[in-house]
Amino acid sequence: MTAALREATAPLRVHVGQGEHYVTTDPGVMLTTILGSCVAMCLRDPVAGVGGMNHFLLPEGSGSGPDAGRRYGAYAMEVLINDCLKSGARRDRLEAKLFGGGRMFDSLQDVGGANADFAERFLRDEGIVVAGGSLRGTGGRRVQYWPVSGRALQRPVTDHSPPPPAVRPVIAPDAGAVELF
Amino acid sequence: MPAAAAIHTLIVDDQASMRALIRTSMQQLGFREFREAGDGEAGLRQMITQPAHLIISDFNMPNLDGLGLLRAVRAHPPTAGAAFIMLTGRADRELVARAVQFGVNNYLVKPFTVAQLKEKVETVFGPLT
Repeated sequence: MTAALREATAPLRVHVGQGEHYVTTDPGVMLTTILGSCVAMCLRDPVAGVGGMNHFLLPEGSGSGPDAGRRYGAYAMEVLINDCLKSGARRDRLEAKLFGGGRMFDSLQDVGGANADFAERFLRDEGIVVAGGSLRGTGGRRVQYWPVSGRALQRPVTDHSPPPPAVRPVIAPDAGAVELF
Repeated sequence: MPAAAAIHTLIVDDQASMRALIRTSMQQLGFREFREAGDGEAGLRQMITQPAHLIISDFNMPNLDGLGLLRAVRAHPPTAGAAFIMLTGRADRELVARAVQFGVNNYLVKPFTVAQLKEKVETVFGPLT
């Protein structure tokens, strides 16, 4: 195989960082991410050939009420779902794989577990089929996902290259406001 | 000064979990009367059969989106007076401008806090009791 052919047939890698999401209909695209306590939802409509991935970490709920984290998480899920729907997916055909939610530190607060619990509950509430994945555990993961075929691979992150520390988002008091009246 | 408990609210969003979160946030503000719809078309049917005082509606929805619901509600005399707060995914100036043109009362950017929801509702109804 020539170098030019190798380049032409190599998958297009797109890295999905914390707080980001990506949707595509291109079967040649491979999405990658590195997860510690964060969770990535890999979502696709197998009939429409549309899929994508998000990568989120629930914010601390203190000061914004007990549901603040869930509101943030539900929004992170919604933007991925909406972009899939805009690209031709149908809600009743969506299937998801969840990865991440690891317990990265030996502390009383299991941040990764809370993220995993939220993601599982979200899919249950929305009636979205869970097609696989890997949640919780004690280490980081590298995930590769082909959104059109639904193929997913994960590898544990070794101590030599731990996932970058996740920064828990803070909900701004009036994020994105537009002066209206 | 209206009593929140007396305001009947219709929540329209295609995500069940988002409808539940809006409802629990409204309950924290004293609201007690809710109905829900999963898209604009179902929301419009509910408004016609049983008008609500306040509609909190998502923008991106199948069948009939939030702008379509807003236009239909304003065009139907029995429902035209309902307060309408639009939920947007971001501060989309163009969407907000079109919603204002069609008679929206206010908008709320997701993910929102209970304090932001309260502020938006109070700009429409005045201080809540």
